[in-house]
Amino acid sequence: MADPRKYPEITINPESIRQAIDARMNARLKMWMRICAHCGLCADTCHFYVAKDRDPKMVPSYKAQKLKEFVKKKGQVDEAYLKEIYDIAYGDCTVCRRCTMFCPFGIDMATMVATLRGILTSQGMAPEGLKAAIKNYQETGNQMAVSEEDWVETLKWMEEELQEELPGAVIPIDKKGAKIMYTVNAREPKFYPQDIQLAAKVFHVVGEDWTFPSKVGWDDTNLAMFAGDLKTAGYIVQLIRDAAEELQVQRVVITE
Amino acid sequence: MTFSALVEGPLLWIAFLTFLIGSALRLLFFIALSTKKDKPVYRYFNFKWMMLSILRWLLPLNVDIKKNPVFTILGYIFHICLLSVPLFYSAHIALWQESRFGWSWWQMPDVWADWLTLILIAISIFFIIRRLVLAEVRIITTVSDYLLILVCALPFVTGYLNTHPDGSAYAWVTSALPLYGQYSTLIHILTGELMLILVPFTKLSHWVLFFVSRTVIGVEFGRRNYTV
Ligand code: SF4
Ligand code: SF4
Repeated sequence: MADPRKYPEITINPESIRQAIDARMNARLKMWMRICAHCGLCADTCHFYVAKDRDPKMVPSYKAQKLKEFVKKKGQVDEAYLKEIYDIAYGDCTVCRRCTMFCPFGIDMATMVATLRGILTSQGMAPEGLKAAIKNYQETGNQMAVSEEDWVETLKWMEEELQEELPGAVIPIDKKGAKIMYTVNAREPKFYPQDIQLAAKVFHVVGEDWTFPSKVGWDDTNLAMFAGDLKTAGYIVQLIRDAAEELQVQRVVITE
Repeated sequence: MTFSALVEGPLLWIAFLTFLIGSALRLLFFIALSTKKDKPVYRYFNFKWMMLSILRWLLPLNVDIKKNPVFTILGYIFHICLLSVPLFYSAHIALWQESRFGWSWWQMPDVWADWLTLILIAISIFFIIRRLVLAEVRIITTVSDYLLILVCALPFVTGYLNTHPDGSAYAWVTSALPLYGQYSTLIHILTGELMLILVPFTKLSHWVLFFVSRTVIGVEFGRRNYTV
């Protein structure tokens, strides 16, 4: 039977894999690969392990220590191996860190799995949705590639609708010195603009001093982080920070 | 130099120094690399989170006691035996006193040493069986996990045999391995040296890195308001 799972296209470049590993190896990861006692205390703390009928392959340490195995191979891997790692890194772990709370050493297995994801992403091996989102962040500052005009227009439109119900209510844009800079999921302007209106309604009723940035830094999702792409993940956070500093706000509030 | 002089002399030095310097180097390697590549640990370092995280897990004050009481308590007892017998057994202290250092300190009654030794051996057997029986432990177990249990237990097994030469275990071992009787002390020292030498190169280095890892995660979880 054909494998029903879909994989991104795989090209294997041992040298590039080696470099990706080297760039990510830090003292913590090296320590955690060394000291895991293989005691199994983390086993039943993982929801995958419990949900999949105590499947030993769902033991957190098993998944996390794949990093050690991967590193040892020094880039000498084949397609089947990369697929196995891909399935573990994306299919068997949500990178939630629950297991760490039960590990006597506090081994951060989620970070180890995230490192696996990062290495794969660096080789172009990431779920298509995440890859598209990362490109959007890099090009437009938000995951849905909402343009600046569309963003501002959506805010104006929502403000108009809101004023029909609540005369005097506003959606302040680029208000310097406001107390709060509000940020949203880019899906809101794209698909659910009413959510923005609802938040504005709450802010209006409680008399909050708030604002949105007009350019970038208003999307608070960070899908690059889920692909272990720390460079883009850092860039996204930096956009938010820069916007907050430019507007001289006291707080950044994120959507739910 | 005879083999026994080697084992009791230079090799003993090598073992102790490998253990101490190797463990110190593990710590230094961590510091050297982490100051470059693990900056958040330093940026958010907090003494309170570090101490809380270390103490909660060094003492039986953590969640695993509730989750896996039997295994966790046996783990604590194993560590207590492993550290206390070599350090506080009377004949060991006598050797320190005879040595060039002339050191001596509190010693435990020999009957304690006997019991703690037997307990450690029993727990070691339990650990091996547990690794074989539980699927979730078997899958993460490597050959070195079994070997290291042996390496830790052997000084205790030989120590017990040698201090009970009239016992049936001793008779059984010497009949199976006639040379054992001749070299019993030497073999005991060698097993201890083997354990010390392996510490820096294996997961046994957790005797120092435990504190580092708990600090790292204490800082990381503390700053996020999780339980450290
Ligand atoms: S609890 Fe920690 S030390 Fe034990 S197997 Fe899991 S990760 Fe390794
Ligand atoms: S971080 Fe991964 S392995 Fe650990 S509990 Fe969460 S899903 Fe399971």
